[in-house]
Amino acid sequence: MTATTATATPTILAAPTISRPTNVVPALALRRLALTIRSPRAVAIPVLAPVLFALIVAPALGNTLGTPGQHRTYMTFVALAAAGLLIPVNCMFSGLGVLTDRQQGAMRELLVAPIRRSSIVLGNLLAALVITTLQVTVLIFAAALRGAHFHSGRHLLWFAAAAVALAVFVYGLAETFATKITNAEEYTGLVPPIAIVPFFFAGTLYPITSLPAWLDGIAKVLPLTHAVALFRYGLTPQGTQALHNIWGMSDPTRMALLSLAVVVAYAAITLTVAIRLFTKSGTN
Amino acid sequence: MTMTTTPAVEADQLVKIYRGGVRAVDGISFSVEHGEAFGLLGPNGAGKSTTIGMLTTTVKPTSGRATLGGIDVASNPTATRAVSSVVFQDTVVDRPLTGRQNLMLHLRLWGVEPTAGRTRYEQLSDAVGITDLLDRSVATYSGGERRRLEIVRALLSAPQVLFLDEPTVGLDTRVRHDLFDAITTIRERTGVTIIMTTHYLDEAERLCDRLAIIDAGRIVACDSPRNLLASVGAEVLDLRVANPNKAIAVLRGRGIAKQDIAVTGFTVTASLRDVSAQQISQALNEFSVTVQSATTRRPSLDDVYLRLTGARITAGTDN
Repeated sequence: MTATTATATPTILAAPTISRPTNVVPALALRRLALTIRSPRAVAIPVLAPVLFALIVAPALGNTLGTPGQHRTYMTFVALAAAGLLIPVNCMFSGLGVLTDRQQGAMRELLVAPIRRSSIVLGNLLAALVITTLQVTVLIFAAALRGAHFHSGRHLLWFAAAAVALAVFVYGLAETFATKITNAEEYTGLVPPIAIVPFFFAGTLYPITSLPAWLDGIAKVLPLTHAVALFRYGLTPQGTQALHNIWGMSDPTRMALLSLAVVVAYAAITLTVAIRLFTKSGTN
Repeated sequence: MTMTTTPAVEADQLVKIYRGGVRAVDGISFSVEHGEAFGLLGPNGAGKSTTIGMLTTTVKPTSGRATLGGIDVASNPTATRAVSSVVFQDTVVDRPLTGRQNLMLHLRLWGVEPTAGRTRYEQLSDAVGITDLLDRSVATYSGGERRRLEIVRALLSAPQVLFLDEPTVGLDTRVRHDLFDAITTIRERTGVTIIMTTHYLDEAERLCDRLAIIDAGRIVACDSPRNLLASVGAEVLDLRVANPNKAIAVLRGRGIAKQDIAVTGFTVTASLRDVSAQQISQALNEFSVTVQSATTRRPSLDDVYLRLTGARITAGTDN
C-alpha cells in the first residue's frame, strides 16, 4: 500500500496598510467608557450622594435654616454646591480604573503601543469628563425638579468652564495617585480627604465668611472654593456674592476670570504632574 | 532585488541595573535576522524578561544599545513600538470587553487601515481558531483562548518583530501544545521575526532557529538547538549515587568527562561524548562508589544549560 501525504502550502497573509495613528485620545476614551459602562455601579455610586444632597439634604436644610422667603434660595445654594461634591468624588473614583488597568487590564499593551503615553492619560481624562458631565446634568435636572431655581444664559459658560477645570484638577490628582499607589484599598482611602473634606470648607453649605478667619484664608486657596463660586455665578441669580467673598471686588466678570484662572492653574499643574509621572512609570 | 542588510533586532552590550544595584542584564549582545525565530532560554530571574523589556521600550537600559529594524530603541521609542508587538507573560487584555473590541482598539492604536485590519484579524482569528469567540466577553475565555487572542492582536499590525514573553507559562500541557501549533501556523503565514523567552525546553527546541542561553544576565551560549545539543554529545548518562561528591572526585581524578559532568541532588550526569557508560561504572566500582541506578538517554537543552552553568533550568521553574 502506498500512502500519500498532501502538504498544503500555507497562504501568506498580506500586510495591511499602516499609517501614523490618529484620533488616539478618542479611541482610548471610548475604551475607558466601554469598560466603565460595563460596571454600572462605577457610574451610579458617585452620583448617589450628591443627588441625595440635592433632593433631600438641600430642601431639608432650606426648611430648617431659611425663613419661608429664603427657603428656596438656600435650597438652590446647597443643591448647586452638590456639584462640588459630585465632580471630585467621580473623578477620584475614575482613577481606580488606572489601577485596575495596571493590575488586570491592558495597560502593558497600551504602554507598548506606538503612541505618546500622555494620550493614555488624556483618553482616561476625556472619559472621566464625559461621565462627569452626564452625572452633573442629572444632578442639576434633579435639583431643578425638586424646586431649586437656576437661571440659564451666557453665564452658563462660567459654570461649564469651572466644572471642566475642577474635573481636570481632581482627575490629575487621581491619575497621579493611581500611578504611585499599587493597592486599591490604599487608593480608596484617599477619596475622603481629597474629594469630601474640602467640600465642607469651600463655601458649599455656608459662605466662607462664616468660617473662622484662619480657615477663611485656607478656603480661599482651595480650587473647590473658586469652582463653587463660579458654579453660583453661572447658574444662580444672586451668584456674585460667593466671588465677592473671595476677592472683595465689585466687578463680577473680573472676579470670575480670576477664580477661573485659579482653578485652571491648579488643573494645569496636576495634569502636568500626572502625565509626567505616568510617562515615567511606563519605563522602568 | 534589494537585500535588507539591517538585522531585524540587534542588541549590543545591553546592561540593566535596577535600583538597589540588582544587575538583571549584564552585557547582552545578539543579532536576529528577518524571519528568524530566536529564543532566550534560562530559568526565572536570568534576565530574559528584562531583555525583552529593554527591546520593547518598557525598561530603560542602563547602558548599551538596541535597534529594531534599524531604529534605535532608546532614542526613538515610538517608532520602535510601531514595528513590534508583544505577547506578555501574563494575560494583558480588557477582560470585560469582547475579543473583537480588544482587537479593534489595537488596530486604532497601531494605525492599521480599518478595512484591511478587519480582513487581517478575520484571517488570523481563523488561523488560530478563535473566530467564533470574538463577540464574547474575554472574561469568558479559557486561558488558552486568551493567549490565542493576544497572539492575533499582536500580529494585526503586521509587526516586523513579535516578542513572545513566556507565552505558554501557566497553561496546561494540551493547551500549550495547541498554542504552540498556533504560533507555528502564524509564523508560516506571516514570516514574522520572533523573539521568544521561555524556560520550557521543548518549546525552545521546536520553535527556535537559534537560542541564546542566559545565566545571571549573561549569554553563555548562542547557537541553533541542534548545535547546542551536539555540544553535549549524542548521549548522556544519569547515575544515581549515595555520595555524588565522591563520584565526581573519582571521575575527575581519573580524567573522565572532566568538562561534561555535573551534579543535581544525588544524580551525577555525564556526557558520553568521549567516554563509555561502562568506563564510568568501572571507575566508580574501583573506588567503591555505589551506583543505585544508571540510565542513558538523549541529551536535552537542560543538559546544555547544566554543562554551561552547573545548574538546571528546571531547578528554578515549574517545568
